[in-house]
Amino acid sequence: MGATLLETLRGELGLSGTKIACGEGHCGACTVLLDGVPVLSCITLVHTVGEREVTTIEGLREHPLVRSFVRADALQCGFCTPGQIVSAAALVGAVPEPSREEIRHHMAGNICRCGAYPRIEEAILTWRD
Amino acid sequence: MARLIKTEKEVEGRYEETWVVVEEDVLDQWPAGPLTVVGQAVERKDGLERARGEAPYTADLKLPGMLHAAVLRSPHARANVKRLDLEPARRSLGVRAVVGPGDVHVLTDEPRYPGQPVAAVAADTFRQAREAVKLIEVEWEELEPLLDPDEAVARGELVEEPRRFERGDLERGLAKADVVVEAEYRTQTLLHNCMETHQSICRWHGDRKLDVFISTQFIWGVRERLADQLGLDPDDVRVVCEFMGGGFGSKNGPGDYTYIGAELAKRTGRPVKCALTRREESLATGNRNATIQRLVAGAKADGTLTALGGEYVNAVGWSGFSPMTGGPMQYLYACDNVRVVEHGARLNAPPNAAFRAPGFVEGTFGLECLLDELAARLDLDPLELRRRNHLDADPEGRSYSSKNLMECYRLAEEHWARRDTVRARSEGSWQRGVGLASQVWFGGGGPPSYAWVRVGADGRAVVVTAMQDIGTGTRTAMAQIAAEELGLPLDRVEVALGDSARGPYASISAGSSTLPSMGPAVRSAAADAARQILELAAQRFDKEQRVLSLKDEHVVASDGGSWPLGSVCELLGDGQVLGKGARGPNPTGMRVLTFGVQVAEVAVDVETGEVRVERVAAIHDVGRIVNPLGARSQVEGGIVQAIGHTLSEERLLDPETGTVLTQTLDAYRMPTIADVPEIVAEFVDVPDQHLTNLGSKGLGEPPIIPTAAAIANAIRDATGADVRSLPVTREELLRALREARERVGAVPA
Amino acid sequence: MELSRPSTVDEAVAALGNGAVALAGGTELVPLLRDGLVRADRVVHLADAVPRGIDGTRIGAGTTLAELEVDPQIPSALREACRLAASPQLRSMGTIGGNLLQATRCWYWRLEFPCRLHGGDRCHAAEGVHREHAFFASDFCASAHPSDPAAALVALGGMLRTDRRELPVAELYRLPTEDDRSTTTLAPGELILELDVPAPEASVYLKAMDRRRWSFPIVGVAVARAADGVRIALAGAAPIPWAIASEADLDGATPLPGTAYKLDVARALVRRALAEV
Repeated sequence: MGATLLETLRGELGLSGTKIACGEGHCGACTVLLDGVPVLSCITLVHTVGEREVTTIEGLREHPLVRSFVRADALQCGFCTPGQIVSAAALVGAVPEPSREEIRHHMAGNICRCGAYPRIEEAILTWRD
Repeated sequence: MARLIKTEKEVEGRYEETWVVVEEDVLDQWPAGPLTVVGQAVERKDGLERARGEAPYTADLKLPGMLHAAVLRSPHARANVKRLDLEPARRSLGVRAVVGPGDVHVLTDEPRYPGQPVAAVAADTFRQAREAVKLIEVEWEELEPLLDPDEAVARGELVEEPRRFERGDLERGLAKADVVVEAEYRTQTLLHNCMETHQSICRWHGDRKLDVFISTQFIWGVRERLADQLGLDPDDVRVVCEFMGGGFGSKNGPGDYTYIGAELAKRTGRPVKCALTRREESLATGNRNATIQRLVAGAKADGTLTALGGEYVNAVGWSGFSPMTGGPMQYLYACDNVRVVEHGARLNAPPNAAFRAPGFVEGTFGLECLLDELAARLDLDPLELRRRNHLDADPEGRSYSSKNLMECYRLAEEHWARRDTVRARSEGSWQRGVGLASQVWFGGGGPPSYAWVRVGADGRAVVVTAMQDIGTGTRTAMAQIAAEELGLPLDRVEVALGDSARGPYASISAGSSTLPSMGPAVRSAAADAARQILELAAQRFDKEQRVLSLKDEHVVASDGGSWPLGSVCELLGDGQVLGKGARGPNPTGMRVLTFGVQVAEVAVDVETGEVRVERVAAIHDVGRIVNPLGARSQVEGGIVQAIGHTLSEERLLDPETGTVLTQTLDAYRMPTIADVPEIVAEFVDVPDQHLTNLGSKGLGEPPIIPTAAAIANAIRDATGADVRSLPVTREELLRALREARERVGAVPA
Repeated sequence: MELSRPSTVDEAVAALGNGAVALAGGTELVPLLRDGLVRADRVVHLADAVPRGIDGTRIGAGTTLAELEVDPQIPSALREACRLAASPQLRSMGTIGGNLLQATRCWYWRLEFPCRLHGGDRCHAAEGVHREHAFFASDFCASAHPSDPAAALVALGGMLRTDRRELPVAELYRLPTEDDRSTTTLAPGELILELDVPAPEASVYLKAMDRRRWSFPIVGVAVARAADGVRIALAGAAPIPWAIASEADLDGATPLPGTAYKLDVARALVRRALAEV
């Protein structure tokens, strides 16, 4: 099988902010944006990316969500956090003031085993503070 | 002064009395309540690094020339290798070394659980290593696996001798009871599923010195065990873990993968990373074992417990340990007649490993559900029943170092009082109810643990200790403690951890022990540094040292005068103030435990069997709270994990072959953000005045312990159904509802 | 492995066959390729060949579930089925055409037990752990069809256009048999291009899951009311999306010991869905 986008990012490009946790599309740790849309880089073949713009956590380091995640204590071990922030960036990009229900719907593909979810919800609710 | 004392060490419920060198803990505790830094809600010191994806986890490390390992694991639960040909793998593209049974002690040709390592390959890339593993030719002799825990106990297939605990006389207690309830509870096998899979990188310098970069909860344990196994001097093994992506008890040792990686690295002369895939993670990194609990309780009409009995079967797996599933029955209630028997069944299934309060999570589910069944029979309020059986002193005659469970119950009242309104919100097929459960656990930590504090001319402090922060925020808590003692703002204190070559021995981060073990050592090191700074200040400002103290980055004299700390520190030039500190002894003859209670509110769809947890209020008594923000996160995280344990997670085995069926995260269902209820976290924030210079106990485990029982009891409150098996799937709930309807002979409204 | 990206349907069809497989969103195919459950020398990426987008009742097969879940032109049963399917990332990658063709989540099949769907001679699930499996048509293979949108489309009476024919969505599926283990009627190399979903008078999709989001259906119930009557289809109930004529048809279910509870869930959801339309 050809290389995945994740393998290219972490391997060739040395961008290790995007994490691998399941490698088969089930957990969201590897989430990146393709033209602003959140996708799973671990099951995206790199050669299908084409002209689309890839945004990883490295491109979102100055996003206000990063600060709001820290402020709200929305991370524990932090391994899923880059993926959470990438998904959240797509959400607030489309819906600047998401409701709790919208957050729960749009963030359900990012598993956090530490269970930081209440804080993640809080961080997204207050991302512009 | 260092002293040699005999003290009790406890890790996750296992006590051992041992000689340890401890230093006197001469510091008085700080006053109760929030201080300048300690007790204030502060952000994680390393939050930004983690959130920005800059923190280097083991998974992110690449060493020059590094190879990747892949492991051939037994596809069978019980089999013998009749023929093994490693040659095709050796000839495969990119392969640098192949090892098989006999080459590493963890590789076997007689696997006794599915996923047990048989052979391994190191190659230039991970894909090449995996491809090569597929080429290894094996002829198997498949043997029938033993998978039934009761059968294993009957056959005497046990991982250790059955444990028996007895006080009073159970039969006599039952005879004295007005009401006796008996029930069988079952809990499922659960997977840790840390987001960062188990992995390490081994790098040799010559053949006597080894560096190990590993995702671990116990840097020093990995060091000792590797040195022991490989015949190296411990100081020739350097273990590094600066950031790690979750452990929950499963990363306490080196693991098979590190032994394999060390051998492959030795053979190739190159660094070797051995990282497990998610599927391997589901097979071979431990689990919370399933249990069968056959319980009985007897009580007088007024609720006084006269008898508690439990026959527990832990379905341990091929190896591992038999957890204290009967622990809550021994420790939670006043009852003169208790008998607990715990069996650890040896099965052809993956070995268990400690998982966040092993035994007590499972045992509390059984005991606390039984208590509510008893309360129903006695027509007694469940909270009142628990109060009436409160244990005031340890049954073995030892006093508690501190116990505020009654205060927890008092704080729980306002949540418990919501049940009439909650029930009244039942509508149509959605029935609502409230349940509670109590919690007891260890969490006092112990010696030895050490820290150094270094203060330089810039007036900044660095805490140096070779501990690890497994995501619980202990790095931040250590900085707070040092900052408090040194009168510094938090941003003037850093914590250097995660490297056995760069700091003194530090405790395991398991058993809720990091804060109570490390915190006092850090405080004592900071106090030592503070004393030295004041010595200098006394000379510089011509004051008696005893009138001086550090506060708000100033040296303050009680008889007048205040000087910026910088005016002392700048005199250091290239010099440094070096403080050292150690964890003092645990209080002699006292029982150090944590307590709590949780109140859960649920909505149950009695037609479809759906359970929604709507609210959980948690009140825990863990001594002084150092960082209320981090503490709340620990409670929320524990409850979220517990909700998965209660409702949706289960490792399933094929009953014929023993194959693990739930190896992927679509099938092994951990909670998502959509499953999270409102969570209220409260603390009895009172320092344990007998425990160390800090008065803090650990909080990692307590919050996960009572949740399942509280939810199950809320389901009973809502519907009358007795759920006795975890997870509470729709199948289990619909079964329990049917049973309840048959019992009362009518459909509940 | 070779990847091609044809720009027309004809080129795509010509490129398929002879060890080539079609790739759309990749959420199903890429993991199956990785695990060796699908073997292919060549992958034909359909992004430029298969229509994408919504135009009234017509839906390009390359339209993603994320696009469908928010489009007001889409009947509510299909929208809801898409909304409750998989995870947000999977919905923004996965196409409706690919979704209809996804393989079962049966763990025995996914772990390559030599089961009937893999050409073997037994159903391991029927004798093993099958609580997520079928309660209709389970005697040959007990797998349960995982697609929420498929059930919605069957209930809505959706039509499919492929590169060579038009057919009702319901006829895309067949139960596997001794002679033919396939669960679809698609010919080798045949491509789904477009769907046509007539607007119902009312429609609804209800789904029971093990967690609130990101779960395959325990049972999904789609009900649509059109001028010619009410149609009901179930997800997670049989090896293929399963149409029933009425609530009473549930009496004809043939659950396994471990799927009897699903029937209780289905009864409740069918009753509710019927009440809603």
